[in-house]
Amino acid sequence: MTNFRVTAAVNSLGFVGHSESLSDPFKIDRHGHTYVPTGDGGIVLNYRVGDSIFALDADHASPGVSVSHPNSDAAYSLVAQSCIGNTAKVRTGAAIGATGVVLGKRGEGCRVLVLFAPEVMKLIRPDDQISIETEGQGLADDQMESRIFNISSNLFSALSFKKSGEKTFKIPVRTIFESKYVGNGIGRPMPLWDVDLQVYELPAGVSDIKIGDFVAISNLDARFNAGYRKGWISVGVIVHGASPQPGHGPGVTIFLSGPENEYELLSDPQQHVGLTEATLLALGGKAT
Amino acid sequence: MKVTTNASRLVSQIVVGEVWPALADRNGFRVDANGQAFFLPGMGGVTLGVHCGDIATRLLGDHVEPGLSVRSAKESVNYALQFLTCIGNIVTVMSGPAEGKQGFVIGQHAYVLVDMLEEDMAEVTTGDRVSIRAVGQGLKLLDHKDIHVKNLSPELLHGLGGGTNSSGALDIHVARIVPPEAIGAGSGMVSEYANTDLMGTYPDLDPSFSLGLEDLRIGDVVAMIDQDHSFGRGYRKDWISIGVISTGSASLFGHGPGPSTIMSGPASAFNVILDEKSNIKFLTDLIKVKS
Repeated sequence: MTNFRVTAAVNSLGFVGHSESLSDPFKIDRHGHTYVPTGDGGIVLNYRVGDSIFALDADHASPGVSVSHPNSDAAYSLVAQSCIGNTAKVRTGAAIGATGVVLGKRGEGCRVLVLFAPEVMKLIRPDDQISIETEGQGLADDQMESRIFNISSNLFSALSFKKSGEKTFKIPVRTIFESKYVGNGIGRPMPLWDVDLQVYELPAGVSDIKIGDFVAISNLDARFNAGYRKGWISVGVIVHGASPQPGHGPGVTIFLSGPENEYELLSDPQQHVGLTEATLLALGGKAT
Repeated sequence: MKVTTNASRLVSQIVVGEVWPALADRNGFRVDANGQAFFLPGMGGVTLGVHCGDIATRLLGDHVEPGLSVRSAKESVNYALQFLTCIGNIVTVMSGPAEGKQGFVIGQHAYVLVDMLEEDMAEVTTGDRVSIRAVGQGLKLLDHKDIHVKNLSPELLHGLGGGTNSSGALDIHVARIVPPEAIGAGSGMVSEYANTDLMGTYPDLDPSFSLGLEDLRIGDVVAMIDQDHSFGRGYRKDWISIGVISTGSASLFGHGPGPSTIMSGPASAFNVILDEKSNIKFLTDLIKVKS
C-alpha cells in the first residue's frame, strides 16, 4: 500500500510559454547540418498522445502546452511539484475554465507539459495562466526499496502496477533501453528533469514508440539524480518527440526507480498501450 | 604525434579572465546517489595540491577543479573564453603576488581550468586576472578528414603519443577506455564548453555503481567508446571521442571526473593504443622553462 493519503496538494500558477529562439535561428544536428527547430515549447497543435516520436520533423515537440513561470525559483518549484496526472485549470484567456492534465516535465527551460482537449488547445495562447493542482511528490510504498515520484496518487493507484501483498511492480512497457542511450538529463535531479533517449530510429523489433508509452531503462538509478547503477531499473512515460541534436531525443519523464528484483516488465514492442489521451483527460477533468 | 596539420594557419589570440570564487547557495548541501546529504568543496577558486598525473578521485569533493578556475564576468566574453581556449594554451598571471607566473590550460568545466607549479599556484587567489594565449580551435589533421579536432593546442598535439600509421588510421595512445555507460552530465551539450562527467567513478559507493574508473588521473588521455562529439556530445555506435580528464571527484550522482574532448570520429579512423602513461603532464615542461 502506498501512503497516498498524506501527500500534499498545492495550487501552483504557471504561464503558457512562447516559442523561443536565439538571434541565430539555427541549431546543429549530429551530422553538422543546420536546422531551424520547431515544436520546442509553446503550443503545439498537431501532435497528440499516441502519435509516434518520429511523426513530426521537429525538435523535442510535445503535445499540449509548455507551462513555466518567469520567476526562476517559482518555476523550479512548479516543475518539481507537478506530477503526471495532476489537474490543470485555465485561469485567463479564451479557454478560461477549461481543465487539462499534466503529461510530464522537461528540464530544459524548466517546463511542465500540460495536455488539453483539441478544442481547448485552439483557444489557448501564450501567457495564459494555468493553475496546476500539484500533488504526488512524497508518495511512497514502504514495502519497496523503489522510489515513486513525479506521478499523482490518483494516477499511480489507477495504474495498479502492484496489488496489495505483491512483491513486484508489474508494468507494461513498449521496450527496455540500456542506460547508455540516456543523454541529456543524465546526472540531473529527477523532480526537475526528463531524460532524453539518444535514439534516431526505431530499435530492431519495435514497431513504433508513441507519446504516452511506458518505457523502462536498465542499469539506471533515478531515485534522486539519474545515473548508472548495475541492476537497477527506471520506468517512465514518453512525453516528447525526437530531436536531431546530438545527445538529445525523445524524452522520458521517470516516475519509478529501484532494484530490478522489484520489477516484472511486460514488454510488448508491437501492441503496447501506455497512457492514452482519454485516460489522461478523464483524470484531469476529475475533481480531486 | 607525427601528423600533418594546418597549425601554421591558426589564429593566436589573447583572452583574459579572472579566478572565480567558489559559489554556494543558502542550502549548502546536495544529495549523493543514495539521497544522502553531503557538504563538500568543489568548483571555483584555486584548488591546491592536485595536478596532472594525480588520481582524480583522491580529493574528497564535488566537481573538484584542479588549480585555477577562470571565467569572465560578461557572458559573451566568457563564452569566447570557453570556446577559444584549448588544452595546452599558456596562461600568465596578470595581478597579485604571482604576477608573471605561468600555467597551462588543462580543459574546460564550469570554468577554464589551469594547472601551475604548486609553489606558484599557492600565491594566486580569487579575483586575480590571467591572460591566456588562445590557439588551437580550427586545428585539422590533414590526412584524417573524418576526425574532428577541438580544444587541442598544437603544443598538446605535438606531445601526444601516436600519429598517422601505415594503414592511414591515427594511432592514439590512451591511458583508459571509457564505456558508453559511463557518460554522465554533459551529454547533449556542445563539446567546446565544459566537459563530460563520467559515472562509475565513485570509490566510496557499493560495487553496483562501479565501472572500474575510480583510478583515472587528472590529465589522462582517454578514449570514449560509442561517443560522437563532433557537433555536441552524444551516443553513436562505432564512433570514438578522445578526451583529457580535467576534473576530479564529484559526489553528485551522474557526475564525476570528466574529459574535455579533443578528437572525435568514426572508430575506423583511430587505432587506439592502451598506454597507461598517456597523460598531458608533459605540458608542465612548457612552464618550467619559462617561469
